[in-house]
Amino acid sequence: MPFSALPEKDFFGRQDELARLYKRFLQASGGSAPSAVLSGPRGIGKTELLKQLFGLLFWKQGAVAPFYYAANPALLSSSAFSRSYLVRFICQRLAFEKKDQALLYQDGMSVENLSVLAEDRDAVWAQEILEQYAHSAGDPAAALRIALEAPHRSTLTTGVPVVVLIDDFHRLQGLHIDGAPDSRLVSLFEAPFSFRKSPHLVTGNLPEIQEMPVSSGLERIPVQPLGSEAASSKVLSLLRERGVEGGPPPLLLDYLGGNPFYLGCFARAACEKNAPGEKDFMNAYIHEITEGALALFWSSIVKGLFPNLATRRTALAIVHKIYHAAQPLSCRRIATSFAMTEGQAETIAHALYSAGIVRGEFGVFRAVDDRVLLDVIDGLYRKEILAKTAHDIELDILPKLQPEEEGVVRFDMTLPMTKEAELVAAQSLDQIGKNLRLNPDAVGQLQIALIEACINAMEHSKGADNRIYISVAVDKDRLEVSIESAGQEFVVQETGEPFGDREVAKTPGRGWGIKLMKRFADDVRFEKTARGTRIVLVKNLRAAADVRREETAERE
Amino acid sequence: MNNFTLSSKSGPDVAVITPKGYINDLGAECLEQASEQFLDKGMKKIVVNFSEVLFINTIGISIFTGIVHKALESDGLLCFTNMKKIHREVFEMMGFMKHIKVFKSEEDAISFLNGRS
Repeated sequence: MPFSALPEKDFFGRQDELARLYKRFLQASGGSAPSAVLSGPRGIGKTELLKQLFGLLFWKQGAVAPFYYAANPALLSSSAFSRSYLVRFICQRLAFEKKDQALLYQDGMSVENLSVLAEDRDAVWAQEILEQYAHSAGDPAAALRIALEAPHRSTLTTGVPVVVLIDDFHRLQGLHIDGAPDSRLVSLFEAPFSFRKSPHLVTGNLPEIQEMPVSSGLERIPVQPLGSEAASSKVLSLLRERGVEGGPPPLLLDYLGGNPFYLGCFARAACEKNAPGEKDFMNAYIHEITEGALALFWSSIVKGLFPNLATRRTALAIVHKIYHAAQPLSCRRIATSFAMTEGQAETIAHALYSAGIVRGEFGVFRAVDDRVLLDVIDGLYRKEILAKTAHDIELDILPKLQPEEEGVVRFDMTLPMTKEAELVAAQSLDQIGKNLRLNPDAVGQLQIALIEACINAMEHSKGADNRIYISVAVDKDRLEVSIESAGQEFVVQETGEPFGDREVAKTPGRGWGIKLMKRFADDVRFEKTARGTRIVLVKNLRAAADVRREETAERE
Repeated sequence: MNNFTLSSKSGPDVAVITPKGYINDLGAECLEQASEQFLDKGMKKIVVNFSEVLFINTIGISIFTGIVHKALESDGLLCFTNMKKIHREVFEMMGFMKHIKVFKSEEDAISFLNGRS
């Protein structure tokens, strides 16, 4: 085949998705299979799914012919692309008839030789298309149209529908005749996309595909991350293949978010040791995100986007800010923060969005839901901008990978920001304290602090999400309550302390909430999160018990 | 849902206000109105019984500033009773305790106030 797909035994956790796609495109026979785009973040496995679908359609049935094409950045001149596209299509289509695997590899064949082959196979339809193509050699746009419509023409002539599978479709926005990308060329896909008997399934970088003139004709099919079982099987299979014993801690596996590319990079890094332990797996992850294949992958994308070093550093600082801002950032906000024009901020933010490094909605930019990418960017930022050492970065990342201590009991709740919602939180904490027989004084103090934190969350949310996310974690010595909400940033970056809300400060007696939290909790932290801001209140239960004992003794 | 209620009673010389539930801004305003009514009637000895107060927040406490000032302006006496330790700590932190007297029970406060001319 002109590409290498994974053996079936190594294709984990996607059998259902593959079966659904297979069924969907078999319907091309009845003319009811619309064209679609496989969407998902980089590394999620879109290309592999496309290749597996090709294999299934090619080998398992004879009613619908598959055609796979991977867009090549070296073949973007209209002439080179159309020739390559047409030759590959005809080779694969002829190969399908007799399940002739060898012909799949003949993708470098000349048009002339292919015509001879078509004649030998009595494929009149192919001869006609090739002849017409040869006549259009002087008109690159016309030749391109012939190549793009060849699958449909073969369908009409032979009665065998064709499913066209195009990988890295976004690259085709670079199609050109005289060197400058011309969107009119890629728009020639519009007609082929609409043919129900020769549906197209494309994949690539979705933000870029969405900006191409033909995207409206594509239905979106999201590719999901691997589930924990499939992710574990994949990593273990790669480890065993290399004779490595043991397996990564489930928490770390979960951290990789079911992204097959990440899982593969991580497993290969873990193979440095024959019998890696928990620490070795963590080190493998840290190695990957700081200097391994994974770091290289993302840093090369950043370098590709911003070849100029100074711009790249600024872009890195911008991504870092977007990732750690309490709320999505507009270009104006970015421009102000980095002393640049809004146009410059827009150019950088848009490039980051197009590359899938940040999410962009309604003119604002926010962090992607990808912890690994966040760690890679944090690592790059610390290394390139803050000049931190690899050891510093390791110390920053390791705690995130550590499992919670045994014996920790956790309660999570989401409260709507309705009148006196803080009472629900405080009463719940009271009940948790009773259930777990916690020191009532410590619980009482934290209830007061929790009420203030909830009020603070509501005052600062400004209607951004209208929910408060509360998490209570209890172990034998420690009671920790975190209160998270969307909304404006209220933490001074330099000090990590909240700054006062001027409007709120005008209210008589306000401003005491933070002081009160600090008075009644042993530790108060203010953190920026992807969702917004989090206040963490910590109470040391052992110290509180000691105080209670002393007070009881004094009374006696 | 009403998380705050208030009851009051008055003897010949002393008024007792018993707030119940959550003292936030609204609860504290009710409390302020009740104490004002007594002060306006010339009842200058006021006891606030905290036995049924569940929670109190800083917005509510800040409104107590007004109650304390009015009591002082009227040459009145304000006593708090049955305070939980945590509530007492909150009031202490906000600097209220120098202006009010705290008693363990309502009876203690009343007998103290009755002993004063």
